[in-house]
Amino acid sequence: MEGQLEALKTTFEQGLAEIRDMDGLDALRVAYLGRKGRLTSILRQMKEVDPEDRPRIGTLSNQLKGFMEKAMEAKAASIKAAGTINAIDVTLPGRMPRKGFVHVINQVSAEMVGIFEDLGFDVATGPEVEDEYHNFEALNIPAHHPARDMQDTFYFNDHTLLRTHTSPVQIHVMEAQKPPIRVIAPGKVYRCDSDVSHTPMFHQIEGLWIEEGITFEHLKGVLYSVIHRLFGKDVPLRFRPSFFPFTEPSAEVDIGCIICKGKGCRVCGNTGWLEVLGCGMVDPSVYAHTGIDESKITGFAFGLGVERIAMLRYGIDDIRLFFDNDMRFLSQFDGK
Amino acid sequence: MNISYRWIKEFVDIDMDANALADCLTMSGTEVEGVVHQTIPEEVVCARILEVTPHPEADRLHVCTVDNGSEHLQVICGAPNVRKGLMVALAPQGCILGEGMKIKKSKIRGVESFGMLVSEKELGLTDDHEGIIEIDQIDEKAMDRVRPGDCFLRALDLEDWVLDVNVTPNRGDCLSVLGLARELSAIFNQDLHLPAFDLVEDECTIDNKIQVSVLDTHACPRYAARFLDNVRIAKSPFFMRRRLFSSGIRAINTVVDITNYVLMEYGQPMHAFDYNRLNDHSIVVRRAGHGERFLTLDSQERTMDKDDLFICDGKGPVAIAGIMGGESSEVVPETNSVVLESAFFDPITIRRTAKRLNLSTEASYRFERGVDPEIQTEALRRAAYLMGEFAHARIWSGEIDVNHLDYTQKDIMLEPSYLRRILGTNIPLDDVGDVFTRLGAVVERQDKGWAISPPMFRHDLVRPVDLVEEYARIYGMDRIEPRLPAFVPVEMKHEKTAVEQMRLCLASMGFTEVITYSFIAGQWEKWFDTKMLGLKNPISDELSHMRTSLIPGISGVIEKNKKKQIRDVYVFETGKCFFPVDGRDLPEEVERLAIAISGARRDTHWSDPSSKVDFYDIKGIALAVVGPAVFRSSSHAFLRPGEQADIYVEDQKAGVIGCLHPDILDAIDMDDAIYVLEIDTRFAFAEKFKGMEPIPRFPGTARDLSLVVDEKITYEGIEQAVTECRIKEIQAIMPVDLYHGDRLPDGLKGLTIRISYRSDTKTLSDKQVAKWQKKVVRSLEDRLGIRIRD
Repeated sequence: MEGQLEALKTTFEQGLAEIRDMDGLDALRVAYLGRKGRLTSILRQMKEVDPEDRPRIGTLSNQLKGFMEKAMEAKAASIKAAGTINAIDVTLPGRMPRKGFVHVINQVSAEMVGIFEDLGFDVATGPEVEDEYHNFEALNIPAHHPARDMQDTFYFNDHTLLRTHTSPVQIHVMEAQKPPIRVIAPGKVYRCDSDVSHTPMFHQIEGLWIEEGITFEHLKGVLYSVIHRLFGKDVPLRFRPSFFPFTEPSAEVDIGCIICKGKGCRVCGNTGWLEVLGCGMVDPSVYAHTGIDESKITGFAFGLGVERIAMLRYGIDDIRLFFDNDMRFLSQFDGK
Repeated sequence: MNISYRWIKEFVDIDMDANALADCLTMSGTEVEGVVHQTIPEEVVCARILEVTPHPEADRLHVCTVDNGSEHLQVICGAPNVRKGLMVALAPQGCILGEGMKIKKSKIRGVESFGMLVSEKELGLTDDHEGIIEIDQIDEKAMDRVRPGDCFLRALDLEDWVLDVNVTPNRGDCLSVLGLARELSAIFNQDLHLPAFDLVEDECTIDNKIQVSVLDTHACPRYAARFLDNVRIAKSPFFMRRRLFSSGIRAINTVVDITNYVLMEYGQPMHAFDYNRLNDHSIVVRRAGHGERFLTLDSQERTMDKDDLFICDGKGPVAIAGIMGGESSEVVPETNSVVLESAFFDPITIRRTAKRLNLSTEASYRFERGVDPEIQTEALRRAAYLMGEFAHARIWSGEIDVNHLDYTQKDIMLEPSYLRRILGTNIPLDDVGDVFTRLGAVVERQDKGWAISPPMFRHDLVRPVDLVEEYARIYGMDRIEPRLPAFVPVEMKHEKTAVEQMRLCLASMGFTEVITYSFIAGQWEKWFDTKMLGLKNPISDELSHMRTSLIPGISGVIEKNKKKQIRDVYVFETGKCFFPVDGRDLPEEVERLAIAISGARRDTHWSDPSSKVDFYDIKGIALAVVGPAVFRSSSHAFLRPGEQADIYVEDQKAGVIGCLHPDILDAIDMDDAIYVLEIDTRFAFAEKFKGMEPIPRFPGTARDLSLVVDEKITYEGIEQAVTECRIKEIQAIMPVDLYHGDRLPDGLKGLTIRISYRSDTKTLSDKQVAKWQKKVVRSLEDRLGIRIRD
């Protein structure tokens, strides 16, 4: 019986330690000291105890009862003391630090620049207001050539314009540097066009790699690597012959439609493919314009539209959203 | 260019459906952007009109009894050509003809109709809506086999697909059925079938019928013509009108349609003149005079330039060469004799004129890209044959051919090493000769490589590298193995990284980045000191000038968001501003950073009444962005007077802060103030690490001083007076309270400043600090007459 009382004290203490409020305390009181409580039920066995031991056991159990009552009183006081501080409504909103967002176009652009840096590309920049020579002529787009129709140009006067592509940066780099050249040139470009899929200003990233021994195989290798980093390793890719005056051979690169997985949908015009960039081997006439000796080197160039990539990535169907700058749009892109 | 799949198939026999064929063209460089299935619902049947009676209630309507093969139906018809015995196309009830056009049983003016007799337009075959289809007009021979109830589509074999082909500017030779068929024949190594026809010429010869003189053989190196008479001007046969319609060309009459048909077939633009309306029956090809006027057949008067090329008769111009004919000589219903023109015009001449007149036609589009210099007379023969066949024309024998074209074939040497230097070392060489033969070139294997002479219609093949592309295209770019070049690490981080860092810093400070257009409205010029560069062809007046400041754009963002009830906005933008430079075409481009804030300082919170941003918010932001700086009151027109300052960093002007001028806020309809900052980006987050500073070892202490100060004395003056005490233990001075109000006389303000002291060598004693405080007070009293408040 003595042992039972000992054990009861231990379990009581453990139980009390877990009590956090008055309701719990009341329940504990009933469980131990109530009419059917655990101490009471032990005392009911008193008649089975050797009469000699009864006074000692009686004292012990009275002591235990006193201990329990005191401990519960102390607990009650502590609960009451804590309760006098008003409980906080944790469901009210907290004070948020204001959160800002890098524009999604610059996020995507920075990501791509990072990918190109990993492949060994340097970054170059050039002016946005260009002369006709750098934007067209040096890129093998002579005046009165139908290729000029491929780009609607903003003019300031007959020879000054807003660059229609980042390709003139190729010319600036080739004028300033000797091969090997490995650069990309991200930046704004402008075309006289405005509808759901065109804005008069958008962003491109130009790439140029000129070195001895560079072939179309390397162009494909680099672009496979970039596209796989951007869209995942499983996305199919195809190179389709095309025409750009400053590359020969020229190609457009399509990826398997990431929306319908190639089955055909509205976004890919039911072809199962999405055009993502243009590329090719640098045309000899471009070397001639920049005074680079073509006999020893070869090179490739490519250009891709940042908005295009961002639209595909995030399922954005109207390019104008990028320049509307609605906070509810901009705050959806958290760099992930 | 839109073109019929079945038309192409007549020229080259390839067993492949339209979509597969489109894919093959796309993968060889002729991009097919879409394939449209041309079909008609199966429910549309052939039917015979058994009886026609006038509608009792409407003069122009008829009540017809129609045999659809299984029953006799009553159908109301309003077409002028409806008559008894006609074999027609019947769209029955429930049939859906295109979007929103479902045939229902209906009552027309009280008489029931159980279907509809349809026109070519209603079935999407052509745009002809003059009357209902007469099956014998579509296919005469079909009358023998077609029975009422037959499926119209199958009975007349009308299913087709239209390919929308995007031909790149270098491949003018592909702008025709022949051109695309030629591509396919090269890709699949299949024979090309040119249209077979026997031209039966009359005994009369063209000699003396017409005089052609070409005065500018550079602009017009070849001019060929034929003469025909007895032409019957009528509606062209159905097959021709349908194919032209598929290609987006409107049918006019037999003669004009045939010239367009041959244009689509061979890629050779042609023009038909009414012979009797050509003065002196002569044709003169000459340059236009400057300012000469001419009425084109679209009834527009055009003003010409001396670079433009005219086709003239004995008196004056009758056509703008290669672009559009004139009203005075066009073929009209009364026309009896025609002169057919088939020429080769200089691409640059045509393009320059077409661009200047902003007039692009099927003809100019092809001449600009260069037509086949060898096809002019063949195209004439083809057109003449079709005229004989479908316009009952008498074809006078012979043709005029003024030909100054230089036909020398050029050999281009393609060396195997060069091919592999560009395409890759694994490129096989065994089928190179075969590929070029298939492309129509003459190939000769020599020691060095292949001597290749491309066909005349391939103007684009001039250099060895052009042949490399040609080979890659036919060999298949997808078959070239990707391979990574050897990795060479970049030498150093680029300046772009700094801008990326700046963006992240600003975003983490709570600013959201915006991107606005680099062009803004010209009217902003009056608010800024500098001239703006104006676009010659802006999209709108709102986007007409290159910005000299980011502030108009970024303020516009705040205004646009306010319109959408988003009022508390913290934004930034980085981008270029463009400053015109005297005597130079190119402006100076300066990379700038702008920040704009408006609305509440913090997001609304239940515990805290929100307060609006003010000047000291933007000033604090400026300090966080540029580091230690000096602010000097400024007077920029675009900022509110008295609430703006220039920012100086180490004596260089870095930028400006302030509140946008109330007139501008009014103009953009803003009621909340907008505070802005604009700096040159090189000043943003530009502080460099200056070496490690030791962490202080002894505690510091601070003392507050409450001052009564003349309103005119600036805080900077007070700070200076403290600094000038030259107590090196003073670590910082800051204002902790500023009071204007009743408890002080007018013209005075109460300012409490806190001075923090610390020594690097010991813990400071109260006595020592009290001594310094006295010195500070004396300095304030002596220099500025400031009184200490008790």
